[in-house]
Amino acid sequence: MTDATLNSGGSGKSLTARDARTKRRNASEKRFQAYGMIAIGIGFFFLVVLAFTIIRSGLPAFTKTVVDVEFTITQAEYEAAESELFKTKAYQDLFIAKLEAQLQERGLEVDFDAAAIERLLGKTGGTIREYYQGNSNRLGEPVQFELAASSRVDGYFNGRVTRDTIQDSRFLMKADLDIVDALHTAGIMKSAFNWTFLTGADSGVDNPGGAGIGASVVGSFFMMLVVLLLSLPIGVAASIYLEEFAPQNKFTDLIEVNISNLAAVPSIVFGILGLAVFIQFMHLPQSAPLVGGLVLTLMTLPTIIISTRASLKAVPPSIRDAALGVGASKMQAVFHHVLPLAMPGILTGTIIGLAQALGETAPLLLIGMVGFVARGYPDGIVAGFTDPNSAMPAQIYTWAARADVAFYEKAWGGIIVLLVFLLSMNILAIILRRRFERRW
Amino acid sequence: MTDTHIASAFDRDLETIQALIMKMGGLVEDAILKAATSLETRDEELAEEVRNGDRAIDELEEQINEEAARVIALRQPIAVDLRVILSVMKIASNLERIGDYAKNMAKRTTVLSQMGQIHGATASIRRMAKEVERMLKDVLDAFVQRDAGTAAEVIQRDEDVDQMYNALFREFLTFMMEDPRNITACMHLHFIAKNTERMGDHATNIAEQVIYLVTGEIPDDKRPKSDRTSTDPSVAPA
Amino acid sequence: MYDTPNTERTVTTNATKFSARNVQVYYGDTHAIKDVDVDIEDKTVTAFIGPSGCGKSTFLRCLNRMNDTIDICRVEGDIRLDDQDIYDRSVDPVQLRAKVGMVFQKPNPFPKSIYDNIAYGPRIHGLAKNKADLDEIVEKSLRRGAIWNEVKDRLHAPGTGLSGGQQQRLCIARAVATEPEVLLMDEPCSALDPIATSQVEELIDELRTNYSVIIVTHSMQQAARVSQKTAFFHLGHLVEFGETGQIFTNPKDERTESYITGRIG
Repeated sequence: MTDATLNSGGSGKSLTARDARTKRRNASEKRFQAYGMIAIGIGFFFLVVLAFTIIRSGLPAFTKTVVDVEFTITQAEYEAAESELFKTKAYQDLFIAKLEAQLQERGLEVDFDAAAIERLLGKTGGTIREYYQGNSNRLGEPVQFELAASSRVDGYFNGRVTRDTIQDSRFLMKADLDIVDALHTAGIMKSAFNWTFLTGADSGVDNPGGAGIGASVVGSFFMMLVVLLLSLPIGVAASIYLEEFAPQNKFTDLIEVNISNLAAVPSIVFGILGLAVFIQFMHLPQSAPLVGGLVLTLMTLPTIIISTRASLKAVPPSIRDAALGVGASKMQAVFHHVLPLAMPGILTGTIIGLAQALGETAPLLLIGMVGFVARGYPDGIVAGFTDPNSAMPAQIYTWAARADVAFYEKAWGGIIVLLVFLLSMNILAIILRRRFERRW
Repeated sequence: MTDTHIASAFDRDLETIQALIMKMGGLVEDAILKAATSLETRDEELAEEVRNGDRAIDELEEQINEEAARVIALRQPIAVDLRVILSVMKIASNLERIGDYAKNMAKRTTVLSQMGQIHGATASIRRMAKEVERMLKDVLDAFVQRDAGTAAEVIQRDEDVDQMYNALFREFLTFMMEDPRNITACMHLHFIAKNTERMGDHATNIAEQVIYLVTGEIPDDKRPKSDRTSTDPSVAPA
Repeated sequence: MYDTPNTERTVTTNATKFSARNVQVYYGDTHAIKDVDVDIEDKTVTAFIGPSGCGKSTFLRCLNRMNDTIDICRVEGDIRLDDQDIYDRSVDPVQLRAKVGMVFQKPNPFPKSIYDNIAYGPRIHGLAKNKADLDEIVEKSLRRGAIWNEVKDRLHAPGTGLSGGQQQRLCIARAVATEPEVLLMDEPCSALDPIATSQVEELIDELRTNYSVIIVTHSMQQAARVSQKTAFFHLGHLVEFGETGQIFTNPKDERTESYITGRIG
């Protein structure tokens, strides 16, 4: 049954000599590989550029300039200042005198007045007075003070503001820079880590240096808690119902189609929905993480349902058959066998959903979780859900929109914090998934 | 290679068949001895026993064949297992022929007991029968033990049986030439002697099957052929 | 293989365990099983043979109502276990499946420890009062599954870490853990190598002292080796049912003979 003609073409061709077709094919495969590498390279390049830009722009937000000075205020000076009419001014003058004395000790001659100090350091008098009122036992002893400089000084230290570009304003004058240099040389003024950024709350538009992301981190945390506690059980339960129990009819098809559509709805629509239903109709507190969490739950549910269904589908039917064969009911088979096997996929989907929710800004703006609302830490757990607060992305947006350039820096810093959060969530997801997978 | 199959039922089937062969062999050995004894002692009752006992032997052969067919259908034996089944069927067939010869001997006993005695003939025949029975016993043991060496020995011993038959052949010729009234008896005795010699040949067949079972090859036809009565005209009365 | 005593070769007639009358099975509009009447004996291995798609697996799955999980499947007729109609409305399929265990084609141990694999069934059916009881049930089942000696030192290792043949014996042990009366096996050896297959077949031979075993197999040789009764299915009909030795040496129906001699597909 052999066809003799088939063999005639192949005779005489050596295996080691490549014919034209093979060469062409090899060449096109190599080209395709090259395209792939280039694509990866471009993607990687942009990733590197992005990371570099973020870090370079955001890192200054983590440092602040401080005046680190030690001086003593005696009991007599204290009483003298207290007896003045303008008490803070008195303290201010006291402070200036001490500072001058220290500078002279170090041999630095610089001319400065109260107005300059106020421009550089803000109202230090008040800070000093407050301290001694609370710690009167420290009178007569040397006390170390760390006073924050203004954000313009920060800018000077960071290189954002230079002698050439500076424009005299009520915030900073050219002459002030001499004072700054002198203080810097004396070792009194230096850079320190800006803990306020991480722990503080948002500050007024005038004080970019005091702005902190801490409060909005708490706000985001409570919001994520709401999202997790609501969307995971509801999503998984809905998936299990759709996958295992729902009858195959038009109604079920309708539900499935709509879930897929919901996943594609723009997030701002959920914001409007939240505003209308949760705030106006149900009268829940405005700007509360609870409301933010509810809105984001609605947004995350489709993602979780879709990924949970995919994981459930991926469980081989032989496991279900085995469970049924041993005499388990359908519920027992699903909960004892199918669900644990689908866990890794469900977890991955949940973390992806949560990470998406963490980065959402538009719906939160509509329900009022904007930046300036994050003024302080909530009092307790319940207050954590109901007190007005902001979320990290909203906070970042607010900062980025402010006029002061220093706030722009803070926005980049906020982005770094947000990315650290997301990274840790992803690492948590990987660890959890590995742990579940290893258990088999 | 271990002796037992993973499926123990297969081993049980093979043991069953083997047991049937041994049973059949026992019956046949018994028949040979009884037939020879009845010939010598002219015991008609014993001869009757032998004739009736042949039915059991035939039934056993049938049973063995059925069992073998069943094992082939259900177990699909290969290699040594296949050789076991094939050789068992042939051994049963040979045993059944030996049994038939023994029955024939018993039948002729009845006839011979009405004639005069031929001196020494029945004793010789008894000795021949005893030798054949011993061959059979040994070859069946060799089958159970899967011992090709013993089986080969048994093949060689057939030479003795053939010699004994040659001697008897010449003796009967002498008796017949001496006194024509002996012819009838001698003819019967001759047939009996010939059949006994054939029993020996069948025992040799069984031995060959045993060697085939153990080694996988039928031994060369180098079996001793000392029965020259059909070929050598010089086998003349002494 | 030496955990349980060897059985006698002879087959005595036993009581009827399953009796089916006039069974029809439909998949949507397709009439898959037609007019099947059969009596399955207790303490016997019954084999269902036939070409692909002849309905033997479908009929097997009717016996423990596994076909209930398929929406388009409809079963009509009378199927009785010990004279009780298993499709009666008052019968709970979950309880039925504790009495009628099943072993599948591809070994499918749960991704849990060996101990938990066996213990799961007794746990959900409440067969053990305390841990000691459960331990005993696990050991007894693993012995019955002829795998105790191989796993007794690693009961908490995952069930999926065993070889194919061991996994299948584990699945058999799991099936007997719920003290069933009948074992259904759907081509249990088709995913195993010859040695593992022999071990499982030997195990099936031992199991028939205690259970009624029904095995679907597409290997006629396996049916010949392992069963005492054989049923030949063809195009949804039960063509012939009889003693295995007789079917394989002298079948009554010529369709049966054609199939087993390899003359039809």
